[in-house]
Amino acid sequence: MKLVIDEIRCKGCNLCTKVCPYKIFREGKKLNRRGIAVPELDRPERCTNCRLRNLYGRQLCGVCQLTCPDQAIHWIDEEPYEPHKVAIEY
Amino acid sequence: MSYDDWFRKDRLPHIFCAGCGNGTIINCTLAAIDQMNWKKEETIFVSGIGCSSRAPGYILTDSLHTTHGRAIAFATGVKMAKPDFNVVVFTGDGDMAAIGGNHFIHACRRNIDMTVVCMNNQIYGMTGGQGSPTTPKGCLSSTTPYGCAETPFDLCELATAAGANFVARWTSYHVKELEKSVKAGLETPGFSFIEVLTQCPTAFGRRNKFRQVIDHVEFLKSHSLLKAKRDRLVEKHEHVPEDMFVVGELTRRNRPALGVKP
Ligand SMILES: Cc1ncc(C[n+]2csc(CCOP(=O)(O)OP(=O)(O)O)c2C)c(N)n1
Ligand code: SF4
Ligand code: SF4
Ligand code: SF4
Ligand SMILES: [Mg+2]
Repeated sequence: MKLVIDEIRCKGCNLCTKVCPYKIFREGKKLNRRGIAVPELDRPERCTNCRLRNLYGRQLCGVCQLTCPDQAIHWIDEEPYEPHKVAIEY
Repeated sequence: MSYDDWFRKDRLPHIFCAGCGNGTIINCTLAAIDQMNWKKEETIFVSGIGCSSRAPGYILTDSLHTTHGRAIAFATGVKMAKPDFNVVVFTGDGDMAAIGGNHFIHACRRNIDMTVVCMNNQIYGMTGGQGSPTTPKGCLSSTTPYGCAETPFDLCELATAAGANFVARWTSYHVKELEKSVKAGLETPGFSFIEVLTQCPTAFGRRNKFRQVIDHVEFLKSHSLLKAKRDRLVEKHEHVPEDMFVVGELTRRNRPALGVKP
């Protein structure tokens, strides 16, 4: 699965950058069309839920999604045959 | 199904300020409700007036957005007329503890079968930051410009003393714990009260040295004392820090309740 931030909902509060145990969210620098600096994702394929959700058949971790006050964090399925990135943390 | 299905997606993004904790509390409450196998047609959200009270407007079920302080009074009416309904109240510290204080303690006394989630930002957010009954001593607000001199209410102790069957307190940092507590509250027959300390960057944080939203959330995290730890300190006659607040499940009992689903 892929982690995505909904640019229309995000208000740039940066709470997600604080709560993720993998520090996947980084403070955004560029303002978007609505004047909001949406956080950047740093190798989101490291996220527990991205890696294991389909294997376990349920939501894992999900702390960023529960914390995001603006319901901007979601996971989407990869397209068929879309290459998957794999990141291994030592 | 996921809790996302409970949102009125066409109403999002909501009007809460950037970083306001109310959205987090709605997420956690809906995540708990989603695990209850409740039908949307049989679930009703009730609220009063305030930023926090706008929550039901973003949820797909029927709801009552009532008058300031009367959320619990309206919810009592719904529950007594329709005991089959699942009734959940969203309220604020001003709405519930100031103007609605009497409705709150009497609903606890009657032990009416409903779950009340109080978004306690320790301020009147919507009207521009007046002090509320839960504004901590020394904090600045537009009505306490030299620091609040009054002793705030401990809402959880109040609910317990008045007779509620389930009482818990968490903060907007403790999302998983909050979700579990709301679920336990929904499952408990009788009055369930969950207080959530949360950040209001616009009316509270700005005046009280929380320049960034994250600073306030960090403060809530570092000043939370788990109930189990507090109990251990008391048992060993050790000092319990005064500047911390107790979080966790504080009361769970089985007193006779009103309006329980037959
Ligand atoms: C009878 C009445 N008195 C006063 C008001 C003005 N008023 C609107 S919201 C509010 C306070 C809300 O505070 P709280 O419940 O803590 O909600 P918050 O905005 O902080 O979430 C007040 C005093 C009103 N709408 N009706
Ligand atoms: S928590 Fe949500 S609204 Fe805030 S910056 Fe992250 S994605 Fe955006
Ligand atoms: S689900 Fe957990 S690990 Fe994955 S991005 Fe969110 S907070 Fe980080
Ligand atoms: S004024 Fe405070 S409580 Fe109201 S929406 Fe803004 S941050 Fe939230
Ligand atoms: Mg308030």
